[in-house]
Amino acid sequence: MNTQNAFGSNSNSTSSISVAGAAQDAETTLRLIASLPAPEGLENRVIAGVRSAPISGRVLGWPALLNPAESWLRTAAAAAIVFVIVGGGWGVYSRIQPDNVSASKPVAGATAGFSNAGAVRVPQTLPAPVVVQPAPIQTTQPQAAEPANNARGKIVPGKHRDAKHVAGNKASVQASAPNSK
Amino acid sequence: MSTSQAIYAGWMEIANTTVDDLARARAEEATLEALVSQYASALYRVAYSVLRNAADAEDAVQETFLRVLRHRDTLDEVRDQRVWLIRIVWNIVLDRKRRSKTRPETDDVDELARVLPSAGLSAEQFAAAAQHHAHVLSCVDKLPTKERQVLALSAFEELSSVEIAAVLGITESSVRSRLFRARNLMAEMLDHARSLR
Repeated sequence: MNTQNAFGSNSNSTSSISVAGAAQDAETTLRLIASLPAPEGLENRVIAGVRSAPISGRVLGWPALLNPAESWLRTAAAAAIVFVIVGGGWGVYSRIQPDNVSASKPVAGATAGFSNAGAVRVPQTLPAPVVVQPAPIQTTQPQAAEPANNARGKIVPGKHRDAKHVAGNKASVQASAPNSK
Repeated sequence: MSTSQAIYAGWMEIANTTVDDLARARAEEATLEALVSQYASALYRVAYSVLRNAADAEDAVQETFLRVLRHRDTLDEVRDQRVWLIRIVWNIVLDRKRRSKTRPETDDVDELARVLPSAGLSAEQFAAAAQHHAHVLSCVDKLPTKERQVLALSAFEELSSVEIAAVLGITESSVRSRLFRARNLMAEMLDHARSLR
């Protein structure tokens, strides 16, 4: 048998076995396994297992009088289902009054808009960067000139220009007066 | 005929339909039993060649016919029931093999020693033969998946290369080339193992 052949090839000196012989050896083993007989009673056990397996439930057939193959009957049945669903929904809706609906009270202390939800700002624990104040700028103007300006009053450049403009106008009026007379 | 009589007549038709269903169910059951008695042995051998465990192989056969039972409506459309069944059991055993990868290799030797024919062999010879076959099978397991599958199916003499191609869902030329590669790889592995001894 195959087993004896395989065993014989194994017990011989291994050096004389060719590559083709090795492949044949492997196929011999696989053939031997492939030809192993099935255990006795396998068919009976399989049939018993198949019989005991749950079979999906059968759907009852429609009576001949209510044969759903009729299209009008199907349409009528669909319309009846829709009528029952819509009617039931409307009935429930019409019985519930809006007064019965309890309005929820506003939460005490709640204000409009978003709240901080109790969050508190925590300042940074690390020392913040020290801001260095810029040094005061040294002015080159003499301190004594300021009282004179203050004595004359602060003259806004725009006002000064207006004053010159007014004086010029007066001079032009005086020059043109003889001609008008 | 009154309305009630007509309704009862309608319900009587339900009974007739039920009888038809029962008759159809019995016919399907008879067909399935015929399939089981015809192909259970072949399916078991296919399953055993991959799983190498008798109980697992029997479970795989059982599951195969349960799947057939589940898809019994499409049974008439199947052209070659043998190849179809082998394909089902092949997918089942590959799935099971994938899930139980952690089985120790020594189980193969024990299982082989249990099932191999021991006629005309002494105890030592039988143990050596079982060891040798287990070694060959371990080399088969080291083959690439595609080559290993083709080699395993080619060991079944009742399966032609066309049928192997149908089971694996590949072309016949692919079967031949994979078988060629598998034989070469097996020869290399076995030769290498022998040279190391």
